[in-house]
Amino acid sequence: MARKSFMYAALEAVQSEMQKDKNMIWVFELTPPVASTPGRPVINLEREFGRKRVVNTGIDEYWMAACVLGAGLAGSKAATYIPYQGSMMPFELIQNEVGKLRMKTGGDAEMPVVFVIEMTGQTPGFGVQHSCYEEDTYYAHIPGVRTVIPSNPTDAKGLMHASLRSRDPVVYLYAAGLRDLIEDVPDEPFETPLDKAAIRSEGSDITIVGSGAGMPEVLKATEELKKAGMKVETIDLRSLKPMDTETLVKSVQKTKRLLAVDQSYYTLGPAAEVIARVAENVDGARYKRIAFPDAAPPASPEMFLWMRPNAGHIVGAAKKLVG
Amino acid sequence: MSERSDIPQKSQDDLPAASSATRRIFLQGLAGAGAAVSLASKAAWANGEIGFWAKDLSNDQLIHMYTTIQRIRWFERTCVDKMLTEPGYRGYNHFYVGQEAVATGVSAALKNTGGLMEADLVYSTHRPSGHAIAKGVDVKKMAAEYDFRATGLNKGYGGEMHIADKSVGFMGADGMIGPGPVIATGSAFAIRARDSKQVVVNYGGDGTYATPQFHSTLNNAALLKLPFIYVIENNLYHQYAHYSYSVPMKDIAEAAKTYGIPGVVVDGQDVFQVYNAAKTAVDRARAGEGPTLIEAKTYRYYNHWGAPGAKPGELGAFGYDPLAITSFRPERELRAWMARDPVDISRNALISWKVFDRAKADEIEAAAKKEMVEAFAWADKQPMCKPEDGLKNVFVEGSVPPRQFG
Repeated sequence: MARKSFMYAALEAVQSEMQKDKNMIWVFELTPPVASTPGRPVINLEREFGRKRVVNTGIDEYWMAACVLGAGLAGSKAATYIPYQGSMMPFELIQNEVGKLRMKTGGDAEMPVVFVIEMTGQTPGFGVQHSCYEEDTYYAHIPGVRTVIPSNPTDAKGLMHASLRSRDPVVYLYAAGLRDLIEDVPDEPFETPLDKAAIRSEGSDITIVGSGAGMPEVLKATEELKKAGMKVETIDLRSLKPMDTETLVKSVQKTKRLLAVDQSYYTLGPAAEVIARVAENVDGARYKRIAFPDAAPPASPEMFLWMRPNAGHIVGAAKKLVG
Repeated sequence: MSERSDIPQKSQDDLPAASSATRRIFLQGLAGAGAAVSLASKAAWANGEIGFWAKDLSNDQLIHMYTTIQRIRWFERTCVDKMLTEPGYRGYNHFYVGQEAVATGVSAALKNTGGLMEADLVYSTHRPSGHAIAKGVDVKKMAAEYDFRATGLNKGYGGEMHIADKSVGFMGADGMIGPGPVIATGSAFAIRARDSKQVVVNYGGDGTYATPQFHSTLNNAALLKLPFIYVIENNLYHQYAHYSYSVPMKDIAEAAKTYGIPGVVVDGQDVFQVYNAAKTAVDRARAGEGPTLIEAKTYRYYNHWGAPGAKPGELGAFGYDPLAITSFRPERELRAWMARDPVDISRNALISWKVFDRAKADEIEAAAKKEMVEAFAWADKQPMCKPEDGLKNVFVEGSVPPRQFG
């Protein structure tokens, strides 16, 4: 056990899988697979495994994704890290090829592949193309592709191991806003299940559900509400596809109040899916939803920070729902 | 192939009298690296047209070009110093300093007035300041936009990376690598269909070569003979990686061969060489003879983004950039390029051509500096955006509902 950053924890899993499997490849551009953390050796996949297996490519995210798919189909485990600047460029490949290959081949195609799709850090001032947060909605819609979204370094490592060991293709959403998180993470390999939500706080008054880069604000709001005497059950989705309906339903059967929180746009976001699944299975519950408005994030920090969901918004909505 | 598609792309030996020995050696290097990849027609060549179009420019036009270079330089240096010395300054930039001769030389060959239906159109990149200033965008409004003010060029919605002003044909900066040039060919297609005699220029860096859109752009522009010019500003680095990571040859202009269009390598530090190449390409495009690929060899004096490693009042960033993990730019490489500074080259040429004297050159620089200091001071006094206005500009009319409160 040692304190590790989000990136360090994720790359530790990749390093371990690449040491075990001499065929595994890693494709990147702009974001070198390099991480350091105090007291631990620097991880540098390019240096450790060489440029034959770990390649820094030109700016062509469609090729990066296709390369990984092709490698997988040819029998090699493969993964790519697509930086947020190109996070939607491989969408067609993942949606129309990766997502449909198993079905169209009657189960013949093997795809031991992982697409690490970075989401922006939602930095104020970066503007519409570099501070958006929307890929969760798009990728989670694709059948045939698992979509996970870790929210802390421990899950970053556990979900990376599980994704790389999965025989299904996985979109691993990497929220750059979490890059600075540091916590104690086990040194040895371990798996976090690809289909289980995590209950971060147990309570009986209200269920608050979030995911990915939204979790730090959800957890902050949870602490604030608990201090005010509210019994809050907080759930981190972790997997968007498949979504862990059972954990959500059980919780709301108990609390009868559900507040679903997205950093993504309002329409068709994960929170909409959470509410729909619970509403189909729980009678007599009350619901609220918080999300980014259906507008691209403007550059001006005044506008952007007002629009982005935060702990204050969550606390306010929870009080309305419970009060 | 039409008769005029064979206009010679002059070799790099066509230097103004002012050329220094250093430059000649440098350009010989360029030529050796494959400068003569154009489809230069031996027939046109034999007609005696030397292609040094700057010979036809008036003194006023030449002075305007020098002034533009200085205005870009000082707009950015003023911004660098603000970033380094004012902790509260919120602007962030992809600095263009070092590449000024490219935008200036290209825009000098374009029509920059008449609005969307008459002016030549320019599609810019994430490094847009130089392209915008050379096209005639208002620098005060740019400075205000860079600090997200409500009265900025795009009312605070865009920021540096998304400035746009179609009134002067500046179609805007794009933060993505890939889509810009293909969109630009769409504008060129519309222009050809409506026969409005405009030309479309797309700027892109060396990083764009690897994108599938680069090849789609040239293929469609060539197939349809579009009035389109792709200006590659090869500053050797895309973000933090040397272009050898993404381009299999030294000269990106070679790619033009595949599409049967002229491909020209030009010294991007020399505004007159850039102008010569741009003028040839613009004339060709306007005459309906199709696209040209121009590769300007140039260099940025700052790192990919912001001013890490720079010092207030000093030109260039020589210090450490924590993000440059893949390729560290060697200080000697940067200094070697700075020895061939676009400001010095244009200034020395105009002095030797007796267009102006040293005193006049100094006066132009001082005026540019003053203008930019005043522009940023004006920007500092502009109002901030209203938070709830973030719900506007989604559709033509009205605003969308807030969803963040639950």
